[in-house]
Amino acid sequence: MTQRWTATGLSQDLPKAVAMAGHWQGHDLAVWRSASGRLQAWNDRCPHRGMRLSHGFVRGETLACIYHGWVYGADGGCKHIPAHPALTPPATIRVAAFACVEQDGVIWVAPAETVGAPVALRGLQPLRSISLTCDVVAVRLAEPALSGDDVLRGLVQIGGQACEVCLLVQHGASGLTLHALCAVGADRIAASRWLEDLRRRAERKGAA
Amino acid sequence: MIRLYDYVLSASCYKIRLMAALLCVKLEHEAVDFHPGRAHKSAAFAQLNPAGTLPVLVDGDLILTESTAMLVYLAQLSGRDWLGPCDPKSAAQVQHWLAFSGRLAASLGMARLHDMLLYEGDIDAWRAQGHAALRELEAALSERRFAGGVWLVGDAPSIADIACFPNVALSQDGGVSLDAYPSVRLWTRAIRALDRFVEMPGIHRLHELRPAPEVA
Repeated sequence: MTQRWTATGLSQDLPKAVAMAGHWQGHDLAVWRSASGRLQAWNDRCPHRGMRLSHGFVRGETLACIYHGWVYGADGGCKHIPAHPALTPPATIRVAAFACVEQDGVIWVAPAETVGAPVALRGLQPLRSISLTCDVVAVRLAEPALSGDDVLRGLVQIGGQACEVCLLVQHGASGLTLHALCAVGADRIAASRWLEDLRRRAERKGAA
Repeated sequence: MIRLYDYVLSASCYKIRLMAALLCVKLEHEAVDFHPGRAHKSAAFAQLNPAGTLPVLVDGDLILTESTAMLVYLAQLSGRDWLGPCDPKSAAQVQHWLAFSGRLAASLGMARLHDMLLYEGDIDAWRAQGHAALRELEAALSERRFAGGVWLVGDAPSIADIACFPNVALSQDGGVSLDAYPSVRLWTRAIRALDRFVEMPGIHRLHELRPAPEVA
């Protein structure tokens, strides 16, 4: 079931001790990296009051909710409740975890029981993640050299040179996100400007 | 002493409080009842600033009513490194971001005033303009990262960063999420990690930079 893996961000955008929002097919996730570098993707909801855990903060190997500071350990279990410092939180206070792996500089998420690995992306380097207000069809119309549905690939012209690019498609509540990679060694500033131009053209196609 | 006519929830006033804190400049604060009192629109206040806007910075006979001019003034007085590099390209880029901060105030800032302080206007247009500005900022900061940089101009934080930071960091108050802007998020973290950084309601410091408080 490798097709269930969804790219939710690029490794370069999630340094150690940082949390960010991610999602898998409509499920909001808190994706975070511990101080030692351990990556996790959890349901983005604190079991206490429902605050987004992606707004929280990382201390060491734990993620703390920004609202009342409840602290969750590596297994998703609540380790500490600041308002009740003497209490050992019951094991039932636990955040649901998703499977989360990092490969080729891309952060992939899938339901916890998922087996297999995401698609391998050899010879490519991470570029940028961008959001669009159009659909994938409009992206392909704007750049006919790209083909695919969940993974758009093709050889495009960047700065007067042919360059392989790969756009990993993520559908979210607020629209389309593309996690872009380009050939290793390509000029990333030129590739980033190509990507901005592609978005403008795709959104015009999408609005037409 | 330099006096700041101030409102705690104003992004532009915070811009000056933050700059002053980073520069270790002490300000005398004069709280203005912006909401609900609308004291900034009073006849008395018009004598100080006919435009009826906050903040206002007064130092002797100097009265400044534009926040970007206040940043320049404080940096010239107390920390010229914060003016950015003085080569022609960098100096122009600093001016670009000072002007750009006005676009952030006119879009993200207005969306926030609409949602928080009941300003009337086209909220959808303000949010759309806010996203358009954030896309530009994201593209610029991504290019800076590809070149190994962190800040908008040069190798150190400058008034360009401080000018743009408040309305970006407060964007969610106006219903504009930063989820789609990873480089912008990392840049706001870098600013919040600065020594002497100060908070305002809606912009908290990085709790993880300090040890967890001990409970007695």
